[in-house]
Amino acid sequence: MKAFEYFAPASLEEAFDLLDRFGPEGKLFNGGTDVVIQLRDHLIAPKAVIDIKRIPGLKTLTYDPQGGLTIGACMTMNEIGNDPQVIAHYPTLAKAALSVGSKQVRNRATCIGNIVNASPLADTSTPLLAHNAVVIARSREGERSIPLEEFFVFVRKTSLKPGEIVTAIQVPPAPGSRGEFTKISRRREVDLSTICATILKAEDGWRVAYGSVAPTPIRLKKTEALLNEGPLTDAVIEEAVELARSEVSPIDDVRATKAYRLEVVGVVLARSLRALM
Amino acid sequence: MKSVGVSYQRVDAIKKVTGQATYVDDIIMPRMLYAQVKRSPYPHAKILKIDISKAQALPGVRSVITGDEYTKRCGLYLEDKNFLAVGTAKYRGEAVAAVAAETPEIADEAVSLIEVEYEELPAVLNALEGMKPDAPLIHPDLHTYKVAPIFHPKPHTNISHHYKLRKGDVDAAFAQCDVVTENSYYIPHVQHVPLEPHCAVAQYELDGKITVWGSIQSPYAVRQALSTAFDIPLNKLRVISPYVGGGFGAKAGTTLEGIIIPLAKRNPGRPVKLCYSREDEFENSYVRQGLHAKIKTGINKDGKIMAVKTEFVWDGGAYTEYGVNITKAGGWASAGPYDIPNVWTDSYCVYTNHPVGGPYRGFGMCEIHFAIEQNIDEVAEAIGMDPMDVRRINGLRVGGVTGTGEVMEVSGFHDCLEQVVKDIEYDKPAVDVSPTIKRGKGIAAGWKSPSQPTNAGSSAIIRMNEDGTYILMTSGQEIGQGSETALIQIAAETLDVDPDLISCRFGDTDHTPYEWQTVASRTTYCAGNAIKLACEDLKNKILDMAQIKLGAWKRDLEIKDGYVVHKIYPDRKVPLSEFALGLAFPDGSGVGGPAIGVGTFTLENNLNVDHETGMGSHPAAFWTIGFNGAEVEVDTETGRIKVLKMCSCFDAGKVINPLTYTCQAEGAMVQSLGTALFEELKLKDGKILNKSFVDYKIPTADDAPELIVKYVEHAEPTGPYGARGVGEPLMVPGAPAIANAVYDAIGVRFSRMPITPDDVLRALREKREREAT
Amino acid sequence: MKYRVNFFVNEEPVELYVDANKTMLRVLREELALTGTKEGCGAGECGACTVIVDGKPINACLVLAPELDGMHITTVEGLAKDGQLTNVQQAFVDLAALQCGFCTPGFIMSATALLQENPSPSRDEIVDAISGNLCRCTGYARIIEAIELAARKGGGQT
Repeated sequence: MKAFEYFAPASLEEAFDLLDRFGPEGKLFNGGTDVVIQLRDHLIAPKAVIDIKRIPGLKTLTYDPQGGLTIGACMTMNEIGNDPQVIAHYPTLAKAALSVGSKQVRNRATCIGNIVNASPLADTSTPLLAHNAVVIARSREGERSIPLEEFFVFVRKTSLKPGEIVTAIQVPPAPGSRGEFTKISRRREVDLSTICATILKAEDGWRVAYGSVAPTPIRLKKTEALLNEGPLTDAVIEEAVELARSEVSPIDDVRATKAYRLEVVGVVLARSLRALM
Repeated sequence: MKSVGVSYQRVDAIKKVTGQATYVDDIIMPRMLYAQVKRSPYPHAKILKIDISKAQALPGVRSVITGDEYTKRCGLYLEDKNFLAVGTAKYRGEAVAAVAAETPEIADEAVSLIEVEYEELPAVLNALEGMKPDAPLIHPDLHTYKVAPIFHPKPHTNISHHYKLRKGDVDAAFAQCDVVTENSYYIPHVQHVPLEPHCAVAQYELDGKITVWGSIQSPYAVRQALSTAFDIPLNKLRVISPYVGGGFGAKAGTTLEGIIIPLAKRNPGRPVKLCYSREDEFENSYVRQGLHAKIKTGINKDGKIMAVKTEFVWDGGAYTEYGVNITKAGGWASAGPYDIPNVWTDSYCVYTNHPVGGPYRGFGMCEIHFAIEQNIDEVAEAIGMDPMDVRRINGLRVGGVTGTGEVMEVSGFHDCLEQVVKDIEYDKPAVDVSPTIKRGKGIAAGWKSPSQPTNAGSSAIIRMNEDGTYILMTSGQEIGQGSETALIQIAAETLDVDPDLISCRFGDTDHTPYEWQTVASRTTYCAGNAIKLACEDLKNKILDMAQIKLGAWKRDLEIKDGYVVHKIYPDRKVPLSEFALGLAFPDGSGVGGPAIGVGTFTLENNLNVDHETGMGSHPAAFWTIGFNGAEVEVDTETGRIKVLKMCSCFDAGKVINPLTYTCQAEGAMVQSLGTALFEELKLKDGKILNKSFVDYKIPTADDAPELIVKYVEHAEPTGPYGARGVGEPLMVPGAPAIANAVYDAIGVRFSRMPITPDDVLRALREKREREAT
Repeated sequence: MKYRVNFFVNEEPVELYVDANKTMLRVLREELALTGTKEGCGAGECGACTVIVDGKPINACLVLAPELDGMHITTVEGLAKDGQLTNVQQAFVDLAALQCGFCTPGFIMSATALLQENPSPSRDEIVDAISGNLCRCTGYARIIEAIELAARKGGGQT
């Protein structure tokens, strides 16, 4: 690791000051499970590392039936995945959170970090996309709510502006919804997703979200529209599988081929739909 | 027997559960310097110029070295390597310069300041291509290299060894066989993945003494290599290996030790440390060689295999620390544990611009058996016979003849086969879970002999302390396999004392006596034999003294339960401790001196094979034979394979410690599972695409299936208490057993491992397309 | 620049001045000579550096040194008290749930944290708790059994 200055601001104001001072040379730091590796591998060499874990108010998780779920920036994957409210109302999110890394990593890694990284295969992204989650970003100018779909721009690129800090993610209430989260990986435990998906049957219709099949995690809107046209039958499932495969654009990489991903996109959809029928 | 055959608690266990066991990286010394290495970014390149001036000018940098100054080659069998590249860099990641600095961070920074100009050369990235006459030469001066007489590099080619086996007349046999099949297989490079990355510390003192601490399986072999490369007399070079955090062969040869010696010599008194990162470990320690295998088999409808013709082409990488010997070992064992009258084998070791091939648990056997044992199932299917019947018919029995013409004196082949058939419930077909979740069972055999020089030596010293406790000194290295415990048990059995009275010291070439190497599953056998002899020597010396003390003939005395006892008058006995410092007499005189036993062992009548035919009457110290069975579940929609159950049965000769034996067998099965399903170094243009745990997956606890371990004991005539080596053989049949089970589940044969979900879906797609047409 | 950190290791208070670009792992090993915590990958993938911080297992290689301030850390050296192995340690010894031993401290810490939180875990919970710890020697079966045995004997305390 190259040398850098470390700051642990005690308030958002202090953090904004530091972001102003260091600009792109300041790296926000939360659970550290990605950033420490990037530092170690010399992928980044910031002048300052700004640890937001000591800012009050970011380590909260609240739920109410009207407002839904609010996850503070510093909540770890284990805290989210084991939270009774999350398990009760957003089981796909709980399952996705607990599918990330190892138990040790989940005690440090945060959901917000997972989202801000904007990896195409972020495990918690698909349940959050399916639930129409909104990213809350704060800056000196105030607060901005960004629908998650608009937050992801490209591989590791978000619509976050310089000087903004993501403080929370809000997930609308989803009464009566049922969903399936699936992670396909080479090894069942402690592995990156080859693909991941959340298929949600909400009160207003089907929602289909996939990770690792495009430059960002995505919703398959055409597939959703097809599913929402009428009752779910074997014929509809078959049609949806083909449509879903046409809506994604996976690539070959060291983890799997494009052909494999395309095939499994359909398998996961069909299995999830049958489970939710 | 009281100590042998007993599940004695591992003597290193308490140290290891409390974090007190010392590994090399735990050695932190005052005034330590840290080394780092500049590496070639090209698979094959001429080094035009290295500018170290900026690195040297960086504050905190003590020394910067390049290969030009250290041009003497070394190598275990074929002296083909330098520790820092000289003239050309031959694989991506090869060390071209090194730095010693006050901190690891400064060393890192200094390395980035070294500027190297290269001229890229055409690279050999496939062993089959590398064999061709027009391939670029990686070692143009190969014909001038010093080589052990049993290996035969082909001058002006990339072939570092060609092993030939010619038994009977295969062509005539094929012509008469009912069925002749030909199958090809490819086994990619994998890495050992010991959890402890390589690490070493070297310290030079101005009187010329160099001490090296390393994570080393074979301190004496490393001492020899370093002595050759740097002209250090052996009495001035001390190699110490503390606990080794897993070896599996990766720590058998010499690696980073040769980089820090020159740095230490430039900084007298200051220890220089170099530790590999996990990424280095994948690229720059050793890798298991890739293998292209072709097997042609002639079989009759009655199940008798009449002939096999085999070609093995090993992708040996840029240098061949052990590759030539793996090529030989693969050739020896190429017929498998079967009695086949006609055998023709060509086994080639080929230089490529890939990471350096080294020994990996099995020493070629895991690779060749992935081919041999799937091939047996395939030929069985070709004649419509159950593959276990083909194994029963052809398996080596006592009096049977191996591929190299050796007559088997002992064979547990059939006993082990029947045990595994029983434990995997082979006669009950696996039941599919659903139309898309299929299950299958498979079995495979494996065999292995130590591929050591026929005169490989071991020695041991047993010292009795004044209180009747003992220090056992050996250089059989504890690398996790449990040798420390097993060797103490052998000593305790021989001395007829409680194992708790014996402590073991190992891994210090200035203090623990010569041991060729801790490889080849030879430690229990070779070091064990030396220890048994040392203990017998000690007993003999004690009995000599006891004659005087007890006034009795030696022939009437015996050592029992820590006493010298008169056989006829058992009341006449003396504790062994009374002989610890020799005998003392009332007049003050003494005789005998401190009690110490010495044992040395070289297997006699172990003979080289004939170069032209590969045949020999007794080339192998022993053959260890056994089986694995596997039951798998395949999700035909996602391609995921889950191994549900594995079982193991080997003929161990005599199991010294059933508990540690079982541990090794369990670990071996899961390690084989990793290679069967997950592991492959993905090489592209000489670059490893997955040199981290993010993308090189080894099994986790979740992948471990139900494991059943059994063994049989047909004593090895020359082994200590009948024991033969097991550590490596235990892993050999695992991968083909899984592959055979996958075939049973989904009817698809995989000629390449690992068998990934991607491969499964592709193969099923192709199968559907084939069946549709 | 050095950062002052005050923290507890194995219940002992520690005050140090650390570099920001060092990890907790290096501080423990190099500055406090607590070398029982091992580095197997430096990337949070192998679990050899597992320590318990404020009751939870984490990878010491993924924590920056200045973050140590205020932490309560338990390393493998802090388990056995008065020469007495903990249940987890004793179970690993009894079942020979180790070979080369390099990964062992990490497994012991993961298992200890699990049993402190959940004294009678199911097999699946055990597997989940140790799936971030890699072992190349044992094949895991005995490690799982050892944790089950330790749970039966009274869990994560001595």
